[in-house]
Order: sequence, then C-alpha cells, then structure tokens
Amino acid sequence: MDRRPARSEGVIESVTIPGGSGAQAAWDRFEALYRSSRDDVFGYVATMLGDHAAAEDVTAMAFERAYRRRRTFDRRRGAERAWLFGIARNAALDELRRRRRTVALTAERPDIGAPAVEDGAELALRRTVVRDAMRALPAREREIVALKFHAGLTNLELARVLGVSESAAGTLLYRTMEKLRKACDESPR
Amino acid sequence: MSPHDDLTDYALAVIDRTLAGDPVSAQDAELAELTLLLADERPRPADAFAAALDARVARRFARAPDSPGQPPEGEAAPRGSQGKRGRLRPRRWLYAPGLAGAIGVGVAVAIIAIPGSGNGSSSGTSSDAAVALKAPASIAASSSTSSSAATSRSSAASGAAAAGGESPQFAAPNRQVIQGAQLTLSTRPSRVNDVARQVFSVISAQNGVVESSNVTATSGSGGGAEFSLTVPNQNLGPAMAALSRLRGAQVISRNDVSRDVTGQAGGAGQQLADARALRTALLRKLALATAAASIDSLHLQIRDANASIASDLATLRGIQRQVANSHIELTINSVTPPARPHSPSSGGGFTLGRAVHDAKRVLVVAAGVGLIALAVLVPVGLLVALGLWLAHTLRDRRRERVLDTV
Repeated sequence: MDRRPARSEGVIESVTIPGGSGAQAAWDRFEALYRSSRDDVFGYVATMLGDHAAAEDVTAMAFERAYRRRRTFDRRRGAERAWLFGIARNAALDELRRRRRTVALTAERPDIGAPAVEDGAELALRRTVVRDAMRALPAREREIVALKFHAGLTNLELARVLGVSESAAGTLLYRTMEKLRKACDESPR
Repeated sequence: MSPHDDLTDYALAVIDRTLAGDPVSAQDAELAELTLLLADERPRPADAFAAALDARVARRFARAPDSPGQPPEGEAAPRGSQGKRGRLRPRRWLYAPGLAGAIGVGVAVAIIAIPGSGNGSSSGTSSDAAVALKAPASIAASSSTSSSAATSRSSAASGAAAAGGESPQFAAPNRQVIQGAQLTLSTRPSRVNDVARQVFSVISAQNGVVESSNVTATSGSGGGAEFSLTVPNQNLGPAMAALSRLRGAQVISRNDVSRDVTGQAGGAGQQLADARALRTALLRKLALATAAASIDSLHLQIRDANASIASDLATLRGIQRQVANSHIELTINSVTPPARPHSPSSGGGFTLGRAVHDAKRVLVVAAGVGLIALAVLVPVGLLVALGLWLAHTLRDRRRERVLDTV
C-alpha cells in the first residue's frame, strides 16, 4: 500500500524575492500556503461534496477568497492552514447549501480512490468495505475523516477548523474511527 | 485522566504514527490498516485542474489576458465545469455603514452651518445684517396701531423709505395734514454722545427745534438718548434722511405718521367766522341800544363772543402750527455688539491672541461636528454591527445545519 505524501505535490513554484515589502511578504506566505495545501484542500472538499467538478470550483474559490483576505489573517487566532481550511469549509458548506444534492456524493464516487487493478482481491474488498462504511457515516463524522485523513490536518488544526477544543476534536475523531471499525467488522463482505 | 481518555489518546497517537509512516505494534495493526485505507481514499485533483489553478495563482487571480469571457478580478472565479458556482460577489451592502456615516456627517454639518438653526453663534456681521433686514418688518408691525388710512399707507411705505432715508409726503394740495415720525437708532455705548451731537447738527441744519433731549452716556453697557424734535414740514423728509444716516448709528425701526386735519381746521375756521359774525351783530345792536339793561346784556354777550373768538383762533393757529411743523420722536439705544470673528479683511492684522482665539473656535466647531457625527454614527454603527453579527451567526448556523441534513 502506497503512502501518500504528507503535503501537496507537483505545484508550480514561482520565483519570489524574499524579504520584500509587506505586500510581497504576504504574497510569499500565501504562495507557500497554496503550495503546501492545494491537494489537501481539494481532497477535503471533494470528500465533502462527492463531486470532482464541484470540488475543483470550490477549491479554486477557497484559494481566491484566501488570497483576497490574506491581510486579515491573524496569527494569534491559529495557524494558516486552519484559517485556510476554515475558508474552504465555509465554501464547501455554501456549495452544499446551494445544491442540497448530497446524494450525489455516493453516486459519483467510483472514480475517487478506486482500487488499482494490481491490488489483490482482499485489499480491494477491504477498500470497498471501508468506503461503504465511510459512506454510511453522518456528514459531520465524514467531515472529520476528510479533515484528518484527506486534508492531513493535525488534531489541533482540526479543532480550530471545527471550532472545538483539541480534546473534543480528538474525542470526535476517536468515536468516528470506532464507528468505522465497527462498521467494517460488521460488514457482510 | 479517565481510562477512556487514555484509550482515546492512545488511538490518536497510533493514527498519527501511522500517517507519519512510523511503525506500530501488532495489536494496533487493525487501526493502522483502517487509517491507511482511509488515507488512500483521499481524492486527488486532476492534473489539468492543478495546472490551471497554479497558473491562476501565479497570476494572482487576475483575469487571463486571453480569456475575455471571464469576469473581472474579484467578481468571479474561473470554474471547472460549473463556472457560475461560488461567484465572489462584491458585497455592496458593506458600503452601507460608510454611506450612513457620510449622511450623518452631512446632516451634522448642515445643522451647524445653517444660520439660526443652532445656538445663535453666528458672527456679529450677520447679526447686524439681520437687524437691518428686520427693520422694515418691525416698522410695519408698529404701524398697525395707526388709526388713519394715510398712516397705514405711510407705514407700509416706510420700510422702503428707511433704506433711502426719504420721508414719504402724503399731503395732498389744499389739504391740512399733520406729519410726524418715530425713529429708533442703535449705536455702541461709546458713541452715544457722538450720535447725539450729530442729531443737534441735523436739526439745526433743517431749521428745526430740539424741544427736549435726554442723553445718557456710560462707560460700559447701557446708556442712550431720547429726543423730541420739531422741523418745518417741508424739511421732514431731509431731516429723517439725515437722521437715518448718522455716523456710527444704525436704524432699528422707523415709523412715519400722518393725520389729515383738513376737516378739523375747517371746523375751527367756521367757528371763528361765526363768532366774529356774532360779535359784529352784537356790536351793531349795542350801537342802537338805549336801555341800560339791554346795554349791559349786550356787553356780556360781546365778551363771551370775544372769548369764543380767542379760543377758536388759538385752536386754528395750533392746527396750522402742527401742520407747518412736523414732530419727530428719536430714540437712540446703545447696544454692545457681539464679538466679531477676526478675519483678514477686518483689519487689525495678525496677533497671537487672535490666532489662539481662532484656533479655539476651530476646535470648538470641530468638536461640535464630531460630537453630532458621533451621535449619529454610534447608534448606526451599533445597529450595523448587530446586523452583521446576526447575519454572520445565522449564516454559520445555516451552514452547520447543512451537515445535519446530508
């Protein structure tokens, strides 16, 4: 089983002059944030929406919003990644509100994380079981999985995005994992 | 820490170690496998989308030069297959607080700037102008007590005459008209004597008489003068004009009065003629009378007739004198002028004291404007803040509710 990289990869990097003006410094910070978070934001949003095309739109919109508001970022209120995912979360929820079409989450998922042909049958089965279990989760718990495993947030960042304490976030994550384990164990497959 | 918390922390640690690629114990293999399977479910962006987004970020989300169909920067974001989704609309309602503030400041400035609407802090120049403009109105008001139609007409016309100083003449040919005027002037306390001296000069030049005068001059506020003047009827107009233009004095009010006494004079003349005719007849009877009693009686009647003639003659002469001379009641009030704002055109030059005074004035006005603006802006700002908070809270709740309905 391949391990995914910890952060986004394959991002085009532009040359910037370090130590420039305040605006340039803000841009440099934003660009670094974008480079490290592009794929993570997409992963989280795509899991939330279950729609690649919509996820692309919302991801682009989230980064554009973050760019417009980059000067309003307050480091005292949390890390930049948590701030960025807060923006992405609001954009994704707005999209969900607009569409009210969450059933499509399951309908359009086959292309997301589909098991490779070369994977063994047992692994493919386990993947299917996990996917079904995740599909059965309530949206709030599915969001926790998305933030933790698809966006790669730390427990502290996850807590900041959800607006809860770190211990509460940890408890929510633990309960979700227990629910997934139980669902996988009880799966007839 | 409860066992449950320990278990939670342990599981979270296993998850983090697994995601970091660190080994875990055999008993945690199931959780680690689930962790890796979940991580493998992570959706990955398409290469085309990633490249397009990279390019947009490199352009700092500016509109691509070769995509004229795209909306301008800040209005919409390019989208994959659903370009209209998630449009970034300019929040025009955010300009509402600024607009409300501008309106509030404008109203405050207007309240302060409109003369008379404030606390009477207008300059001395404008006060003087107001007095001058109000003079005709006060004249018209004071004339309403006049009894004759001619007086009313003269009073109405006196407003216009006050500016030019000409006294209206309403005496028609062959009519006996008594004319008079009341004039009220204002001057500074220090100039009461000077103005009074000018009054004497004017009356002397117009062959008039100062029947009585009462001049009170003080070093501070107060003081004034009252004159009872008589000028030949034909000089009333020039005299009033000269009195209205005395140096250092301003006309506060003016009231011209006229009374037609043609009938009264005619009656007095007729009575005089009758009395004279009676006396002539009595004198003739006296010349023919022989009896002593009759002579005594005629003497008494002639004496009465003489008395009547004298009385009628005095009445007629009094009327003629009043018609020939006009009476003027002149009042001079001393008024301490309000402090005038210093201006370069007011003379006196620049001094430190004036600069300090002006600076204080500017600060007071600025503070007043600021206070009024605050009185408007604070409630508006509180309402706007409350509205924003409510909107933000409602929006967050709606967002969170979406997760419950999925």
